Amino acid sequence: MISLKALASQRRTLVPALLLAAFCSSAVAVEPDSLWSEVTEAAKGQTVYFNAWGGSERINEYLAWSAEQLESRYQVKLEHVKVGDIADIVGQLEAASLVGRDEGGNVDLMWVNGENFAALKNTDLLWGAFADNLPNRNLVQDSPSIRADFSVPVEGLESPWGGAQLVFIVDTAAVPSSPKSAEALLEFVKEGGRFAYPAPPAFHGTTLVKQFLLEVLDGDEAASAALALPVEQADFDNITKPLWDYLDQLHPELRGAGKSWPISAEMTRQLLDDGEVDIALSFNPNEASAAVQNDQLPDSVRTYVFDKGTIGNTHFVTIPWNATAKAGAMVVANFLLSPEAQARKADPAFWGEPTVLDITAMDADQRALFEAVDLGVWALPIEEGNNVLPEPHASWAAALEAAWLERYGQ
Amino acid sequence: MWRRLPAVLLLALFGCPIVLGLLGTLLPALGATPNLAPGNGFAMVLQDSRFVGATLLSLKTGLGATLLVLLFTIIALVSLHNSRLWVWLSATLPPLLAVPHAAIAVGLVFLIAPSGALVRLLSPAITGWTRPPDMWLIPDVYGLSLILGLVIKETPFLLLTAAAQLPQLNVDASLKIGRTLGYSPARCWSRLILPQLYPRIRLTLLIIMAFNLTVVDMALLLGPSNPPTLSVFLMSLVNDPGSRAAASAGAVLLAVLVAVCFAVVVILERLVSTVARVRARSGARGRGSSLFRVFGKLLALLSVSLSIAALFVLLIWSVTQRWRFPDAYPSAWAFDRWFSGNSSLIDPAISTLTIASAAALLAMVAAVTWLELERRGCAPKIDGIWFIPLLVPQVSLLFGWQAMAYWVGADGHWLTVVYTHWLYTMPYVILILAVAWRELDPAWSHAAHALGAGYWRVLFIIRLPLLIKPLSQAFAIAIAVSVAQYLPTLLLGGGRHQTLAIELVTSFGGVDRRTIAALAVLQSVLPLIAFVLALLYPRWCSARLARKNALASRQWIRS
Repeated sequence: MISLKALASQRRTLVPALLLAAFCSSAVAVEPDSLWSEVTEAAKGQTVYFNAWGGSERINEYLAWSAEQLESRYQVKLEHVKVGDIADIVGQLEAASLVGRDEGGNVDLMWVNGENFAALKNTDLLWGAFADNLPNRNLVQDSPSIRADFSVPVEGLESPWGGAQLVFIVDTAAVPSSPKSAEALLEFVKEGGRFAYPAPPAFHGTTLVKQFLLEVLDGDEAASAALALPVEQADFDNITKPLWDYLDQLHPELRGAGKSWPISAEMTRQLLDDGEVDIALSFNPNEASAAVQNDQLPDSVRTYVFDKGTIGNTHFVTIPWNATAKAGAMVVANFLLSPEAQARKADPAFWGEPTVLDITAMDADQRALFEAVDLGVWALPIEEGNNVLPEPHASWAAALEAAWLERYGQ
Repeated sequence: MWRRLPAVLLLALFGCPIVLGLLGTLLPALGATPNLAPGNGFAMVLQDSRFVGATLLSLKTGLGATLLVLLFTIIALVSLHNSRLWVWLSATLPPLLAVPHAAIAVGLVFLIAPSGALVRLLSPAITGWTRPPDMWLIPDVYGLSLILGLVIKETPFLLLTAAAQLPQLNVDASLKIGRTLGYSPARCWSRLILPQLYPRIRLTLLIIMAFNLTVVDMALLLGPSNPPTLSVFLMSLVNDPGSRAAASAGAVLLAVLVAVCFAVVVILERLVSTVARVRARSGARGRGSSLFRVFGKLLALLSVSLSIAALFVLLIWSVTQRWRFPDAYPSAWAFDRWFSGNSSLIDPAISTLTIASAAALLAMVAAVTWLELERRGCAPKIDGIWFIPLLVPQVSLLFGWQAMAYWVGADGHWLTVVYTHWLYTMPYVILILAVAWRELDPAWSHAAHALGAGYWRVLFIIRLPLLIKPLSQAFAIAIAVSVAQYLPTLLLGGGRHQTLAIELVTSFGGVDRRTIAALAVLQSVLPLIAFVLALLYPRWCSARLARKNALASRQWIRS
């Protein structure tokens, strides 16, 4: 299969490659392990099309700032291609591979994790172990979710960008005591509390469903162990039965009565500000701080997690095998890991997302950048941030989404 | 033979995306392209638990909206005829027509949601609500908000088409004859005028029906999400190679569905006209009903004010810093969003304008070329062909066209996007220009030729300047059509062309309401500017000509 594809692509690309070689013999093709000086040299003047979710104003502005920095420091032009769902881009890459477009692809860098990374890795659509070659890689913390992405080994194929944890944002003016477990949340909505979550396969919706699964399985060690393994090896129907029982009770009590769903977690935040719901979802522990400072949430909101913790993970950037500007993409990935870029990202005034760098390993100047960040009272208190549960194996997401849609998607 | 060549080439250029696009949808659906789209598409899509629900929803919203559009158009025509309100409406409707669907949809959500501007205006003083009511939701589960959006956007289109036909129907004479025979005005309309009018608006009605059944952007913004309409459901499948066959098969089924609906309309026409003929002979005169006219006027006013209010709410949100429920108006303003050189507004605006200008220009050149060829007997008169892109569902055509672009590596290129936009601007441009072209008195050209001017000289000095008014109108409408295009840019653009339409729909899920509003306002303003320019440019031309003539005649007198 692979060799057939390679043969076909050789024939397709040979002539253009020869032509290209004849006309621009000065351009050096970089490899994932090229010398860094060669990478920065080759990157000069390149345009990097970074396909990243575009649903957040602050993230878009942060990337616009990154683009300015990259242009002036490395002469790399960063174009943020705003994507609704990165799974669409995974599909487009698979289609490009099927028609043999192994060069000149539309995507140079993309923001992924979890099942999308697993899909790209399984179908061999990633460029290589470029991430281990980035100079700023040495500053990255060592944590399970950075070594393995939803239990799938990373192996340098993607470069960490930020940390995330499922959190709840509550308006304390409407809700004096927050429901801190799946069971309490059910009680809360039954007593007239207003809540809604984005329907899977929307990312945050899927994560909340996984969270509910962890909660209803609490205490069942065999089932919990099965979640860390590929879903094919598990008795899916049996393990997930308590989850569906729980959701069957929860859904009629939701805003929209389980028939109408918010499109995204950001929309739940907007609904919280409007008073249409009492609790919003986020994957960013500092989202509320950023939103309050940006006049998007009232002063009375606070962030919390369930008593037994919530799912956390790391998200990454990666380079597809057919990227056009690979050198430029590496320069961008490295810049995104720099203490300066990560500190700005950690600041709720700009984005407010936890860093993937190890602050203790930094020099004093670099550490000062992070210590200057004020998270505000609205963010998740630091001590609760340690209460992180691991993601189930990447294959569970698709299985849960399919089962959810089968039950509730009509 | 040779003199027909340019026309053949132009037709081929236009027909190529249609034929290849439909093929590119059909082949994967039939399993003929196992590389790009493995699997049995029809089996996959029919087995999907969401297919039936999505199809029923599309039928309900698409047909419901179309029926209401037709009904409201007739009611408005009858009750507004010869009224002062119509004078005002006929000036207000064309600009509203130019406002993109997505912008109106977003404005409507911001207006009528439980926490929307209407409830804010009335709360808590009148309603007593300090928190948004949980009695309804926007988008609602039944597709009512989608129907509402489609109706307020499409009724002006049909109404203006119908009104443009009235002068040829001798309405006032018919009404007078009917009245002298003792028929009520409503009977005059239903027995005398509507039967003549209907064949003339049928094509527009079918275009509206095809649109309502298959629209993607408006259904994403206003329609239910679980399940969504059929075309939105297919959009969620097409990007995954594993389900591309299913998406293609679904798109084929959607095209068949639209064709069946066309057939049903034709059968209904027959039935209605048979019944009407029998009833016309009954001789019943009917009673006059001034109440009906009042109702019609109210309906028209309500529909237009909803659109205008939706746009107004967008404008307010675009300059808002803070506006919490249940405040009637923002507590803090932010006008700087428009003046800070914000790249998140400027970049998509530039991208939108360059694509729109190119697609509009292409359509103008192509349409003028075709009409000139037709005039000189080098091209047949086949107006119907140009409307095919408007009658075929966009997903059915564009899924395949996108697959073709993949194969040759043309996706993501600016020219591919412009080419695809041209497909959708061309019908409107040729529709407007054809009438003007055929009506232009050939005596002007004959006189110029007699004075010794060659073909090109006559075209550029005489014909085009004489037609400057329809030409500018056509250009403005082409800009409006292109600015509103969502699917062609999304599917063929490869993410490289972030137009306002794309940004607006993508960001609706999350980005700040204030920014969404600004994007929607910008998307509405661009076509409006084009319309104003189209209005002013011909006047400026004729003023300049008048000055020149005055100068020339003064010089002539002096000498």
